[in-house]
Amino acid sequence: MAELGSGALIIALMLAVYGLAASLLGARRRVPELVTSAIRATWGVTLLVVTAVIALVSAFLTHDFRLAYVAGRSSRDMPTHYVLAAFYGGQEGSLLYWVMIVGILGSLALYVHRRSDRALIPYVTATILSVMALLLFILTFVASPFELLPVTPIDGAGLNPLLRDPGMMAHPPLLLAGYASFTVPFAFAMAALITGRLGAEWLRSIRRWTLVAWGVLGCGLLAGAWWAYHVLGWGGYWGWDPVENVALLPWLTSTAFLHSVIVQERRGMLKVWNLSLLLASFILSVFGTFVVRSGLLSSVHAFAVSKVGPWFLLYLAAVAIVGIGLLIYRLPALQSDRAIESMTSRESGFLLNNLLFAALAFATFWGTVFPLFSELFWSTKLTVGPPFYNQVNGPLLLVLLVLMGIGPMLAWRRTDLRLLLRNLRWPLLAGLLAAGALLLWLREPLAAVAFAVVVFTTLVTLLEYLRAIRARRRASQESYLTALAQLLRRNNRRYGGYLVHLAVLIMAVGVIASNFFQVERQYLLRPGDSGAIGPYTIVYRGLDDRRTADAEVIAARVDIYRGGELRDSVESYRYFYRNYEDQPTARMGIATIGLDDVYVVLDRWEDDGRASLRVYINPLVIWIWIGGAVYILGTLALFWPQPALARQRAGRLARGMVTSEA
Amino acid sequence: MSGTALAQPVEKSRRRWFDLRLLVAALAIAGAVGYLMYTGLQSTAASYFVTVSELKQRAAEVEGKRVRVGGDVVPGSIRIGGPGEPIHFEITDGTSRLSVVYEGVLPDIFADGRHVIVEGTFRASQPITADTLLTQCPSRFESTPGQ
Repeated sequence: MAELGSGALIIALMLAVYGLAASLLGARRRVPELVTSAIRATWGVTLLVVTAVIALVSAFLTHDFRLAYVAGRSSRDMPTHYVLAAFYGGQEGSLLYWVMIVGILGSLALYVHRRSDRALIPYVTATILSVMALLLFILTFVASPFELLPVTPIDGAGLNPLLRDPGMMAHPPLLLAGYASFTVPFAFAMAALITGRLGAEWLRSIRRWTLVAWGVLGCGLLAGAWWAYHVLGWGGYWGWDPVENVALLPWLTSTAFLHSVIVQERRGMLKVWNLSLLLASFILSVFGTFVVRSGLLSSVHAFAVSKVGPWFLLYLAAVAIVGIGLLIYRLPALQSDRAIESMTSRESGFLLNNLLFAALAFATFWGTVFPLFSELFWSTKLTVGPPFYNQVNGPLLLVLLVLMGIGPMLAWRRTDLRLLLRNLRWPLLAGLLAAGALLLWLREPLAAVAFAVVVFTTLVTLLEYLRAIRARRRASQESYLTALAQLLRRNNRRYGGYLVHLAVLIMAVGVIASNFFQVERQYLLRPGDSGAIGPYTIVYRGLDDRRTADAEVIAARVDIYRGGELRDSVESYRYFYRNYEDQPTARMGIATIGLDDVYVVLDRWEDDGRASLRVYINPLVIWIWIGGAVYILGTLALFWPQPALARQRAGRLARGMVTSEA
Repeated sequence: MSGTALAQPVEKSRRRWFDLRLLVAALAIAGAVGYLMYTGLQSTAASYFVTVSELKQRAAEVEGKRVRVGGDVVPGSIRIGGPGEPIHFEITDGTSRLSVVYEGVLPDIFADGRHVIVEGTFRASQPITADTLLTQCPSRFESTPGQ
């Protein structure tokens, strides 16, 4: 298996290099046969990479401990799904997974667009192949997953306990796939820049592929938040940890792109900006992949723990230089077709949205790399923690939420302010009332304002649906539900987008509540003792000793009462995995009671059953996961293919509108 | 889109490289963010990231400030105590040592020799009282070799 895998990778590398040369030569000399052969080479490379993945996965499944990678990450007693997950549990495997995703999506893109974007295709192929060639080079010569051990161990070391969690099944593959998928829009952007075909035709292709990357990355971030909440015992889901931050960055820039691309499609503006956002998203994705591996940011040791670090850094620099160079070279062709006419227009709303997203991304990036910069310039390593991000990003996010309410009500070119005010008066009134009432009830002005903003924006969004549904019903006597389904089907970009807005709003409720109203208590209890926290009483029932296939487990049982009534029982665990006995791994006990999460962490214990427990009440955290589900639905709605007829009509309509605007 | 070719005639006076109003809006946002970031860095949100020896050298400078110190746990120095009691341990960078008191949940990966980062307010000649104790794997996805 090892020979098959490493052989496949070497052949894939050679084929990728051939394809790269063929596509560039084919484009320069105008030899369509060469381009076709390069496209086929991409498919071939992908097949070979998939073969290598299959080889590695089957090495894991058959416990082939001759492979250093397999022996270091799996063991015979691990449940099968973690053995499978161990495939991407290390650097080499996750890079292999990265290439596979690039290959599959790239091949798909080349197949789908083989006729529609003929002029771009050679360069799209070349860009995709260059990314794959680099990674294949690393996988072959620097960090091969198929390296053999001199002596075959009887059993493997097993996966790091922190990674043995259901979150491992979802978070890394989604996040890595999200990172990798930015390659496709990046390839289109590079092709557009190289060929100078900067018209609107490539935008539609790019938008859809960016949507894929953005949706997958978003799901990856959510899965990561859920995982952190369940295993990292600090009662939170987002810690502004450098590794989290770098994953958020491409999501922020691509969110900005998905908004501003609308302006380019409709008004022919912001071309340079959009291309920059695409370049930034890809560069940040590579940066994210690289930082996780380098130990660059979280460690006191300054540089590159891993051998692949310099290669990534080199590649990042190359992409940045080539990308920015091309952008400057094409600057004359990227002039806006039109200028912004009024500050109260949809386009300036989008622009403001983009500036805010860019500011968010910049502040997050700055905070993340600040230790490096401060050391470079002031020779003092300064780090920033969550308070910094809360202080800087909190207000920005709040303004973005307000804008999310106002933006959709703005008209293109110029908005009649009186009309705007009339459209917004009820949500505005509701928001103000909510602010007053919440201030009296919660006595926390910031939280009251934040909730009021959510109320305002939610109402505006819901009213948008209601208006459109009413209009449909007037025209065709549909039921409300049919009308809603038709809206999402026919105009998915608008109403699917609003669905994502609603998802963000639902999540915002959870984030605001859990940030402002978390309660935390530490207890030292004997079995039978109880402690009070908020409206709840927790009763500690003692410890339990258990055994699973790969670990010994200590479980603390806790009953949760509210108003004298037993509401739920939870167990909080510490796992002692074989081979990792010095690394007891916590699994929290979380009970969702009404709107609150009661979150129990087992800290330490004695043989006589005494234990110290840390208990949190996290209000409304469940809203974040509900919002996450809505986010997935909204992304699917955005991606849902429009019916052919509607698309034709929409196309005609759009063309008609552009001419009529003239 | 074919429509771009039919772009409406824009009044020439309006068509500039940059729009002054946009510039003002962008500058306003940049200014606000800059201000927020600056104050964020001045406040307790920022802490000095030092090794144990650096901390000793710069003791006067960082007295009473928030520091973030990285070092390896000195083998045998961990006194965990019973449930509810603070954890005492020492960290070292090979040359100097620093005593740490930590009252919080025992982190998952905490053992002799592990690399940790503690965060708290520094007072000379006192053990540092950490409110944050971060334990580190060499890399997040990298397993430590099992013995």
